Amino acid sequence: MLVFLARRLAYMVLTMLALSLIVFLMLEISPGSIATKVLGPYSSEEQRAIWLEENGYNRPLHVRYIDWLGGFATGDLGESITYKVPVNEILWDRLGNTGILGLATFLVMIPLSLTLGVLAGMKEGSFQDRSISVVGIVFTSVPEFASAVLLSTIFVFGLGLLPGTSGMTDGFNLIELILPVMVLVLYDFGYVARMTRASMAEVMTTHYIRTAVLKGLPYRVVIMRHALRNALIAPFTVIMLQINWLLSGVIVVEFFFAYKGFGALLLEASLTQDIYVIQACAMVAVFVAVTTQTLADIGYTYLNPRIRFS
Amino acid sequence: MARNGKSKVHPYVPEIYEQLKKGEVDRREFLRTATLLGVSATAAYAMVGQVTGESFAPKAQAATPKMGGNMRCSMRVQEMTDPATFDWTQKSNQARQIIEYLTVTGTDNVTRPYLAEKWEASDDLKTWTLHLRKGVKWNNGDDFGADDVVHNFERWLDPATGSSNIGLFAGMVEDVDTGKKDKDGNVVMSKRMISGAVEKVDEHTVRLNLRSPELAIPENLYNYPTAIVHRKFDEMGGDLSKNPIGTGPFEQVEYRVGEKYVVKKRPGYWGGDVYLDQITYIDHGDDYSALLNALISGQVDMVYEVDITQIDIVEKVPHLVLHEAVTAQTGVARMQMDQKPFDDVRVRQAVQACVDHQKLLDIAYRGRGAIGEDHHVAPIHPEYFALPKMKQDYDKAKKLLADAGHGGGLKLKIDLGSADKWHADAMQVMREQLAPAGIELELNIMPGASYWEVWDKTPFGFTSWTHRPLGVMVLNLGYRSGVPWNESNYSNPEFDKALTEASATLDVAERKKKMETVERILQTDAIMVQPLWRGVFSATSNKVAGYATHPTQYHDFRKVGFSA
Repeated sequence: MLVFLARRLAYMVLTMLALSLIVFLMLEISPGSIATKVLGPYSSEEQRAIWLEENGYNRPLHVRYIDWLGGFATGDLGESITYKVPVNEILWDRLGNTGILGLATFLVMIPLSLTLGVLAGMKEGSFQDRSISVVGIVFTSVPEFASAVLLSTIFVFGLGLLPGTSGMTDGFNLIELILPVMVLVLYDFGYVARMTRASMAEVMTTHYIRTAVLKGLPYRVVIMRHALRNALIAPFTVIMLQINWLLSGVIVVEFFFAYKGFGALLLEASLTQDIYVIQACAMVAVFVAVTTQTLADIGYTYLNPRIRFS
Repeated sequence: MARNGKSKVHPYVPEIYEQLKKGEVDRREFLRTATLLGVSATAAYAMVGQVTGESFAPKAQAATPKMGGNMRCSMRVQEMTDPATFDWTQKSNQARQIIEYLTVTGTDNVTRPYLAEKWEASDDLKTWTLHLRKGVKWNNGDDFGADDVVHNFERWLDPATGSSNIGLFAGMVEDVDTGKKDKDGNVVMSKRMISGAVEKVDEHTVRLNLRSPELAIPENLYNYPTAIVHRKFDEMGGDLSKNPIGTGPFEQVEYRVGEKYVVKKRPGYWGGDVYLDQITYIDHGDDYSALLNALISGQVDMVYEVDITQIDIVEKVPHLVLHEAVTAQTGVARMQMDQKPFDDVRVRQAVQACVDHQKLLDIAYRGRGAIGEDHHVAPIHPEYFALPKMKQDYDKAKKLLADAGHGGGLKLKIDLGSADKWHADAMQVMREQLAPAGIELELNIMPGASYWEVWDKTPFGFTSWTHRPLGVMVLNLGYRSGVPWNESNYSNPEFDKALTEASATLDVAERKKKMETVERILQTDAIMVQPLWRGVFSATSNKVAGYATHPTQYHDFRKVGFSA
């Protein structure tokens, strides 16, 4: 078990190191000089040359990479070009906001999609199954920006029940969270529900379930005690990957509702070429992706009795 | 003759008054010039009234606002370290609530007293005397006075500050040899303030001594990086957001970059009644639809800007009011005259001949503005000379292309940023207009920041230019040979000479005549296609009273409030 964990963690660190090198190099070779990005388009050649020298950009590439990596390890993420404050002062708040949005989405989406998926998978091909599957596919097929516009039209402009943006400028406001969460749940629940359905349907056709039914066990017991655990193994991995998506894949929703989240920060930094923010965001996204993947692997191994730690 | 207090009236004022009577200058130009020369706005309007018979005062506001209220405005909340180095209007709008300017140019283009209660210009326009308002206090208790103003000029005109004001007050600076050489061995020059260019006469009087005549000094003193900071600004850390010391009507209470900026009414403000208790700027990002959603759902009372594509929506929502300002804001598809194929004037002229400016305006900007004339002088500029309107002429375009050796067709690529949607719309229309002549135009739309990396390097690019009150200001900035912002690498000694002559002419009617030559040369040399002059829009709830959109989108909320 310990060897397995150590190996997974070692893979995780190596993956992150490789990705950090890619992030560093991609921004190094992006078009335009870094000095121009920092000092602005009206800066003179002389000013740019001085800046590059003062900030150590004339040193060899590998030295700068190690230095940059060391800065990350010690929490020095540089200063935002746009905000003129340390990246640390912006990043963690934004990450926290996206965490709140993701958690709220999870709290609604996971029970909803698992319940619907199990209900659909219990009797494959039934009316119940077909209805849930069609609804899931329809909602998942509608892009987030379209459902955001549609829901805003209904709840903001039509009924006047909800605010049009979710900036949370006066502190946390649950009402402002409703629309972004609705959009994300609508977009994502169909996918998880269908994965659960497929897994459930597969389990329901296995011999041990048939045996349990033929033994005369109540249907509820068959489902809850025998089918559910095995049916949730496949969705577990999918759900873990949704954490990654909720962190950096909700840019459209955050942008549309002016939600001060991590995705919106990454988008804005990309458009303004705020390179230190881009680097920090990219590394955080990499960390979350690698970590959730590792946790998914470990969890999958634990849940699936056919796989053993070795 | 009306006088500004006991000041001497500048000798040109009676002259331009006579020109107004004869119809040689219009009302707008008279008001602008007379007030710049020190005539009070009230007196200038009264003089116009004597000639035209119209009411001597500017239009009264529809309703007097009630006292109190929190104005919530959706606008980007940016860093605001040093007002002298501001490069976005939004930053100045945040700071404008706590620090003030020496003058204020209103939405009617008339410049009025602010921290300077009056000013005088010498006959040759080289000496300007600014009389500062007495009884004004900084919010730390210090008295405002000449030392503050002198300190501001000194720091603006110090190259180490990095302020764009050094170009604005060019008559007060000189070029000096830094003693350094660049990598090519050329001497590196720098600018510094001329000794004695700013002089403290007494505690409330400052004199500016210029080496060349300048009419627009009072107007320049309302350019957004010229807000006056405390004389100890640098000693206090040189960061306004951390030490928000100002003379303005509000005081900073909360500041979170990228999120919100809050100011509250300051007790004992020198400028009389201020209606609002609080102003809250809320950052909703760059998505125009988010701004509008917030306004429609009542989360804010106004938005900084409404995109042209949204004005129909604003007009249909009963509780919203659309505000429009006619401006000299524009964009130019400029061609670098030293790059192939634009080094052949016939190619540039062929591109121009394909364009129907009215259609560009109608499609790309819904007709809300004025057509461009490819010389970057706007009809609202006081010195604008109306040349014959340009016409789309495909026969001419094809012949020019054939003569230039491109009879078989020509492929061009234009770079443009994605920040303003109308840029892409305008270039899309232009692409369709160029096609019948055999010109295939490819649009290279890139993120806004990426375009600003190449704006002065790309052979063919579409660049936005902001409003400036004078046509010669923008021509001197962008088209004179060798100036830093000459993005088309345009160089024509004949044009430079004509521009110099026009810039140095005080007489409005005379300057207008000289501008004919300037505009014609620029149009004939065909270095740009200028689709349109755009109006700018903002929107408020119908409860907001006393607000009008400024052409440069400045927020002066001293007399803005909520209707009773």
